[in-house]
Amino acid sequence: MPRPIPNFAFNSAGKPQIGCDDRSLFSFGNLIRQTEQLILDLFGRGLLSGTTHTCLGQELCQMAVVRALQHDDDVVLSNHRNHGHFLTYSGDFLGLVAEIMGREAGVCRGYGGSQHMAVRHFHSNGVQAGMTAIATGLALERRQRGSPSVVAVMVGDGTLGEGLLYESMNLAAVWKLPVLFVVENNGIAQTTVTTSTIGGGNIAARGAAFGLKTWQLNDADADFCAQAQRIVDAMRDGIGPGMLVVETRRLGPHSKGDDLRSAQERERIDQRDPLAALGRRLPASERSAIEASNQAFLRGVEAAALESPVSTFAVVPTHALRPATASVPALAQPTDAANVRLAINTALRTLLTHRPEVLVLGEDLHEPYGGAFKVTAGLSEEFAGRVISTPISEAGITGAGIGLALAGRRPVVEIMFADFMTLCMDQLYNHAVKFPGMFPEASVPLLMRTPCGGRRGYGPTHSQSPENMLVSVPGLTVVYGSHRHNVGQLLVDAVTCWPNPTVFLEHKLLYGEAQAAGAFASLPAHSDDLGSALFPTLSSGPAEADIVLLSYGGMLPVVERVARLLRDDEELTVRIVAPALLTPLPRHALRAALLGSPKVAVIEESHHEYGVGAEVLALLAESGFSGQVLRIGMPPVPIAAARSLEASQLPDEKSILARILGMF
Amino acid sequence: MSTPVHVPRVNNNDDEVKLVELKVELGVQVSAGQVLASVETDKAVVDVEAPAAGYVIAIAAQLDAMAQVGSVLLWLGSTADEAPPALAMPDTAAATDSELAPTAKARALLLQHGLSAEQVPASAGRLSADDVARFVVTRGPALAQPAFAATGGSGAGLEGKSVALRPDERGMLATVTWHRDVAVAGYIELPYDAQPWEAYAKQLGQQHALLLNPMLALMAWRLVELASQTPKLNATIVADRRLEYSAVNLGFTVQAGDTLYLAVLRNAMVLGEVEFVKQLIGLQRRAAAHQLGPQETQGATIGFSSMARWDVSRHVPILAPQSAVMVAHAVDAKGQAVLGASYDHRVLHGAAVAAMLRKLSRPPKVDGASA
Repeated sequence: MPRPIPNFAFNSAGKPQIGCDDRSLFSFGNLIRQTEQLILDLFGRGLLSGTTHTCLGQELCQMAVVRALQHDDDVVLSNHRNHGHFLTYSGDFLGLVAEIMGREAGVCRGYGGSQHMAVRHFHSNGVQAGMTAIATGLALERRQRGSPSVVAVMVGDGTLGEGLLYESMNLAAVWKLPVLFVVENNGIAQTTVTTSTIGGGNIAARGAAFGLKTWQLNDADADFCAQAQRIVDAMRDGIGPGMLVVETRRLGPHSKGDDLRSAQERERIDQRDPLAALGRRLPASERSAIEASNQAFLRGVEAAALESPVSTFAVVPTHALRPATASVPALAQPTDAANVRLAINTALRTLLTHRPEVLVLGEDLHEPYGGAFKVTAGLSEEFAGRVISTPISEAGITGAGIGLALAGRRPVVEIMFADFMTLCMDQLYNHAVKFPGMFPEASVPLLMRTPCGGRRGYGPTHSQSPENMLVSVPGLTVVYGSHRHNVGQLLVDAVTCWPNPTVFLEHKLLYGEAQAAGAFASLPAHSDDLGSALFPTLSSGPAEADIVLLSYGGMLPVVERVARLLRDDEELTVRIVAPALLTPLPRHALRAALLGSPKVAVIEESHHEYGVGAEVLALLAESGFSGQVLRIGMPPVPIAAARSLEASQLPDEKSILARILGMF
Repeated sequence: MSTPVHVPRVNNNDDEVKLVELKVELGVQVSAGQVLASVETDKAVVDVEAPAAGYVIAIAAQLDAMAQVGSVLLWLGSTADEAPPALAMPDTAAATDSELAPTAKARALLLQHGLSAEQVPASAGRLSADDVARFVVTRGPALAQPAFAATGGSGAGLEGKSVALRPDERGMLATVTWHRDVAVAGYIELPYDAQPWEAYAKQLGQQHALLLNPMLALMAWRLVELASQTPKLNATIVADRRLEYSAVNLGFTVQAGDTLYLAVLRNAMVLGEVEFVKQLIGLQRRAAAHQLGPQETQGATIGFSSMARWDVSRHVPILAPQSAVMVAHAVDAKGQAVLGASYDHRVLHGAAVAAMLRKLSRPPKVDGASA
């Protein structure tokens, strides 16, 4: 529980209780204002980390909805300008000031700073519209659980230029979710006036177009907070998603020193100041007493923040992954399957049957279609409400998955083609992997399944193997099984035992391939290789071979044929090593398997420069490898649609063999 | 006229389908639209219908086997006894170079034993690992000894860590073993005045805007020239006969980190002086980057080695396998330049080597004529 605030009590969940009367609203609003002024003062004294975005002038706008969210399960998602939301939600003034100063007493010990904070069901992040889709996931979980809570997601007028906002509003409408999109329209996006950026000029009409219930308020109205309270109450009554546009004005610059508005305009904004107007409604003596007691309180906050040690890591973290949780033998999957598609379908069925927290989201998953590659065939009717066909909104459903995962569900999100993972990247790169890395309480066990790979003539945007891009996302796990792995088990384990954001790649060609280990066996998992026990590296062939071929996923069947030719025609002894876990890379196991080999060739279908093979060979080089190495992959050009052209681009038996023979 | 009935594409993700049912036999008459067969993917079973009336004159696909989409499933003819079109014959084009090259394993063994493919006869078709092994055994105990045994003894009773040799270290072991067990090595040296060579190299370097001092490369080129003029310098003994090589393949030692390469410039005798220098510098660069191709690390017929960088007054080089001369260049700390040579006494005697060193110790005349 934060330190006591003058004139306000906390409820049992730790939220300050703020009345709707003038005295309470002025008192808390003034606390926020004085806190912002303190922050600016600390900035001027060089005591802050980075910059900060104050809500001076918007205190009542930021308080109104958050103070009305009184259910313990209610959610507040905010953005870069979040201090008013955070303080109204948490009452943790020291937590905010110390956070921005980078001190141990910060609410996130200085990891997130001004823009990235998390406490209970408050969560802010620094990318415009980035939290809006996450709001839909959090709301979907709450609605399915029957919770009467409301999810409020705060955006500014500047956010109206972001596409994800519209995906999110559409998802909220389609799923009839209790999400309130609050647009704080302060008339200026950083330095650009809103009138020059909003086509059509009508913000509320945008919400209405998606079927959202819309309201427009002005924070200068005398009963503004009471009106906001009624809107929150209506949302809680289940009228579906809504959009509240609040007319407000920023007294200060966007951040620091970037206010281009005229002196005249700023004068008008000063005169409009709703908080000052509210104060004027109180007797002068009462107002002065409140200001004085707030000032005294904040002097204490400042002193405590300055006393708090500068944040340090006990041990500087080298990864952001949570360890695997115990495996559940009841969900064991058969090692052999008629084909990989069936193995994955069976695994999904197992998960949906035995794990109520599992949901499957994706485009065109419904019967009788069953997904573009039929992997979800037969599931949507049997598990109605848990196998959800979504709009074509890859970023939106990724965010929804993050929200579901944050709320404790185990979402499996299918992206129809791995090429479209680019559309999901901001949600993965700036959200899914950031939260567990920054906030010890946050866990994002999100699994993204997606078919990848070429040799189908689908052309440049439907044939790629984007693992090279995915493995470079810090904190993202990338699993890519082959037909020699137990792919169903990989999936079950990834969903149930691996509490980290994960991309699960499936090569289109493997869907029809029989799943059987054949001559492959797992390399011993090293305890320092995170996840390697769940996602094993396989190998076949003698340990002392003339050459080791390292490959994975959909390239493995091709590499097996190459190995056969090398054995039969070239008299070589060949070992194949096939990891399923591309990141975190099973470094110890790979070192043990590869270091003694005279020659190692890494063969990928991916655009492989800066990719998986490069990392594996860098690992060998750093470990003192003295043999010969070779990298084979797709050159950095678009993949052609014509089968003849595509075949000449992607590594195949012939081209791989030629390159390998060049090593001898 | 024969009509092919093709294996149909059921969906874009399956390039092969399984022929699960064949409803007609050879010789039967079928009508247009009649179901001839069923094919299956793991998602669906699809009937294959006759595109026209006719007789089944050939069945190309196999029941219960996977068939390539677009391949011919069966042929229909206008009469029952019509001959089906000849099946496409497998490509019988002449074997390509790669099909006649040694197997990769054989190439690895050739390298290990310091042999070239031309020296080893193939028993049939491609040169195999067995061919190389047999050659090594029949060529005497020196070659037959596996490299690891050349150090003598089994190592039994010795305490310590056994470390596998790198490929270049194994190559070196094979080389020194050939030098010790096959060649009859002698050594001769000659101090000389380095100044004329330095002046010559400087002038040529400036004339052709070379970035590196070309002196050692120029001396190597001079050695190639001498080897072309005097076949015995570029020779070895094979089966009690002297083999005078038709090409001068110059071996040039390059120390790349911990690795000592004998980088080989093949057919060096056909190059002009400047072209030779440029190619040798390129070869040295590739060696320094560990990027020599297989043909650039074997097959030297004569060698040149300089230890001028190390300020030693003398080094007695090891002969490359199947070569008769390895020139050793050194400059001691006081600046005294020395040219020496290890030579195979079976091929050459000392006087011939001394004459060669004397010629090598002087640069060509500035007007281009040899000294």
